[in-house]
Amino acid sequence: MSRRVLIVIAALALAAALVFAARPHEATADERIDQIATELRCPVCQGLSVKDSTSETARQMRDLVAQRVREGRTNAEIEAEFRAAYGDWILLSPPVASWSGLVWLVPVAALAAGLVFVTGRLRGTEGPPPAQPSAIDVAALRDRVAREEAAEG
Amino acid sequence: MLARVARIAVVVALLGLTVTLALAFRRDPHDIKTGTVLKAAPTFTLQRLDGSGEVSLADLSGKVVVMNFFASWCLPCTQENPALVRVYERYRGSDVVLLGVNLQESRENGLAYVKRMGMSWATLADDDGRVALSYGVFGPPETFFIGPDGVIAGRHIGPIDEDTLVTAIETLRARAVR
Repeated sequence: MSRRVLIVIAALALAAALVFAARPHEATADERIDQIATELRCPVCQGLSVKDSTSETARQMRDLVAQRVREGRTNAEIEAEFRAAYGDWILLSPPVASWSGLVWLVPVAALAAGLVFVTGRLRGTEGPPPAQPSAIDVAALRDRVAREEAAEG
Repeated sequence: MLARVARIAVVVALLGLTVTLALAFRRDPHDIKTGTVLKAAPTFTLQRLDGSGEVSLADLSGKVVVMNFFASWCLPCTQENPALVRVYERYRGSDVVLLGVNLQESRENGLAYVKRMGMSWATLADDDGRVALSYGVFGPPETFFIGPDGVIAGRHIGPIDEDTLVTAIETLRARAVR
């Protein structure tokens, strides 16, 4: 077998291994519990997720999440249960399609308004375009040039 | 043209901010309307702290229910307790039911506190915190007012006083009569 064929086989094997490793796999129950607990806010903490908090409330929330996962509920259903009790506040990243989604929209809108404002101001400082000379001015200038040329000649 | 639009946008944004701040500062921080308020109260059946049976919310349909979440380690709970005792005595035997829900501690500690503080109303054990979570409780003390229709009419976060309790109860009783 030639050396070139061996290299091709090795490259194909490597590509197959990478594709196999990167294939989408179904999250395990523990991974789902961690994922949901990361997205939920601990109600008795300052900006901590349920996953990161060691408080009793966070522990009880994790237990509830684990039970709901075992019961076969989807992530969205489990989060909806907490949102029903605490509102969208319980999610560390507020959903875009709700009133709390304004926290995402307002900065973008403010930035756009700021750009429009600055652009408008910059254009305003350029000043008006120079006025075109009238036919009388042009005629007077031509007269003056002719006079000066005659005087020099 | 663009500058005019931007100027209007800035004015609208400032106006919006002013209105939002004005509304936020007017609101009572103890009176939180989000979550379960104005929705059907989550049903539950909990054991009494003293082990003498269970209490189910479904059995209290048609009554005004005042649900107070407490714990022995919670200092504000101790502070609000005299008001709860007076209100319980005032409405004893009426259509108003006061329930204490003990959370995040052992039953022994909860029961010792109940006896020490003279709490004669039904006190229940929320051992796994599921009832507190279903009501959206942040931490004790918190008080929920459930109308005869089974809907949570209001909640109070933090220690509550007698006037607030009586006003909320009377509002619900008046609504039930109408």
